[in-house]
Amino acid sequence: MPIELTDIARLAQILERSGVDTIEIEEPGQSLKLVVDTDPRMAASPTLIVPDADHSVIAKADIAGHFLAAHPWRDQPFVVPGQRIEAGEIVGLVKIGLLYSPIVAPAAGTVDAVIVEPGATVGYATPIVRIRPIN
Amino acid sequence: MTTPDRSRISLLGTSALLFEAPGAFDLPHQRRIWSLAAIASKWPDIREAIPGITNLMLTFETPPRELDTLIAALNDGWDAAEGLAIGGREIRLPVTYGGEIGSSLQSVADHCGLSVDDVVSIHAAPLYTVFALGSHPGYCYLGGMDPRITMPRRQTPLQRSAGGSVSIGGSQTGVSASPGPSGWHAIGHTSWTFFDPSWPTPAALAPGDTIRFEIERVIR
Amino acid sequence: MIEILSVTGPASVQDLGRFDQYRFGVGTSGAMDDVALRAGNILLGNDENAAGIEIPMLPFKLRFGRDMAFALTGADVEAEIAGRVIPPWWRSHVGTGDILTVKTMPRGARLYLTVGGGIDVPMVLGSRSTQFRGEFGGWHGRPLQPGDVLPCAASSATIGELGIEPAGTTLARPNAAADETIVRVVIAGEYDGFDAATQTLFWSSSWKITPQSNRYGYRLQGPAVKPKAPIEKRSHGIVPGVIQIPPNGQPIIQMRDAQTSGGYPKIATVIRADLWRVGQARLGGKLRFEQTAYTDALAAEAEMSAYLERLRTNVRLVEETRTCR
Repeated sequence: MPIELTDIARLAQILERSGVDTIEIEEPGQSLKLVVDTDPRMAASPTLIVPDADHSVIAKADIAGHFLAAHPWRDQPFVVPGQRIEAGEIVGLVKIGLLYSPIVAPAAGTVDAVIVEPGATVGYATPIVRIRPIN
Repeated sequence: MTTPDRSRISLLGTSALLFEAPGAFDLPHQRRIWSLAAIASKWPDIREAIPGITNLMLTFETPPRELDTLIAALNDGWDAAEGLAIGGREIRLPVTYGGEIGSSLQSVADHCGLSVDDVVSIHAAPLYTVFALGSHPGYCYLGGMDPRITMPRRQTPLQRSAGGSVSIGGSQTGVSASPGPSGWHAIGHTSWTFFDPSWPTPAALAPGDTIRFEIERVIR
Repeated sequence: MIEILSVTGPASVQDLGRFDQYRFGVGTSGAMDDVALRAGNILLGNDENAAGIEIPMLPFKLRFGRDMAFALTGADVEAEIAGRVIPPWWRSHVGTGDILTVKTMPRGARLYLTVGGGIDVPMVLGSRSTQFRGEFGGWHGRPLQPGDVLPCAASSATIGELGIEPAGTTLARPNAAADETIVRVVIAGEYDGFDAATQTLFWSSSWKITPQSNRYGYRLQGPAVKPKAPIEKRSHGIVPGVIQIPPNGQPIIQMRDAQTSGGYPKIATVIRADLWRVGQARLGGKLRFEQTAYTDALAAEAEMSAYLERLRTNVRLVEETRTCR
């Protein structure tokens, strides 16, 4: 039985919650090594990260999987830098198996940057989109 | 319509299988179909056994992995089937021939080289037997039509034909229970309730019942 | 409950269908895209046979009468709930009075709205599907109209938003062009009544889906496919997917509201695993047939079951993961 992406996601979350940082599984014909990233910005493209002491808020993934900037049926990404968004608005998706879990804006504001590359593997609480809130 | 000399079995995708009996379109053959239906409906993985006109459709609860066993069982079942004589009810149905709903009356007469009155009297003469239910809820296929009023089905089916239409399709006749598309030629109409989903058995008529059409009126 | 505010075309209440009433002349009815209806119900944790609303034309608008979960699957649509845009194949949670507006359908032909617990219309002859011809089942046996208030079964607790990869993406067929639907068919009883050149024409043609296509049948247009000699069959049972060839040589694919019997020659039958693709093929679009063997058709059904099983497992997993937090 091949290891499914959903199994990997489940394992990753078990690791995160249990505080273990590495697990290796070997079965005939396949092996899997998972390393939990304790630095939440690892999945991010380094050039996009500007240390920011202002009041920006971060939309984070709430599940492990692959980041999708656009729905596969849509040409346009959910958000682009400079776009005005409302609290609760969907800014991207995490693909886990056959499912899409939404990443939502925690506050209204303007999109500053989409931190993660489309297709990148993300984990629980990985920052995805930086938003400049409206004061 | 040709008379097949041996049985034919064909697939309807993976949902069903069709058994077509050899021989004539007549009551003795139909009685064997009823008998085969009663037996086949009890076979494993068969959802329903639905009689047609000297044929039988089996719908699958689960499609069989291989079909040979089922095919053999059908052929053996047909060979062994004694005619099942169903003693049904006799229904008298008043019919208005012609008019707006029965607008094909004239074309049937023309096609068959008969007068309108001939078509009406030939159609109303026999005691018809309900051979099978099908097409739409409560619709009955009747056996016993005089072959002199045979008319092939339409080149292109009509999108809508009225409920209660008495029509001819090939060498068959029947009464539609509700409005809907049809490839048949309507020669008259009746007002009668053939189907009600709240009845314990939703269809008013069953295979084996008989119908006599009474000429209520002829609109020329 | 939910209230229909505006509707275009024959939207109807459908579950998976009514499968054991053929002997009374009652066809299956049921969702034209049963995969989409199942997916919506899986997303909501419903029984997969729970009734939803099939919406073939837009615009469509409804108001939710209380807090409940709902999902949209099937055709790709531009939909807004309480003014917020939601992605395709999506479940969400709404509050009392929230309005769902669906404006356009850029892809596919039928949208499915499912609700937590299902649309609670009475079971008639074993199904909640609308039987248009018999005028029973569904909502009073008829298409939905503005002002209709449909009862919903007990809704589950608040659930978070979640989407599913559309079936058309997961189960994409190779060589399928964007404007052409390819469906697999098993040859039927009268296939041999057509000569080799005509059979080839049937396989090689790209059939146009005419505007006369609907829940009863898809009427196709293309080169005339005619048998060697006219074939007039004694009436016999038929099922959704059967492709009949009337004397004009233009194929008709029988769909969910088709008659349960017929006498036109049958050239082939669309396999169950692909019938939903026909249900999502648009009027004016193209359709092509691909021959498949019975055993391969069974394998395709197994593949479909595996997809649905994977959906169920995935939804359970995400639910568990979210609950753990």
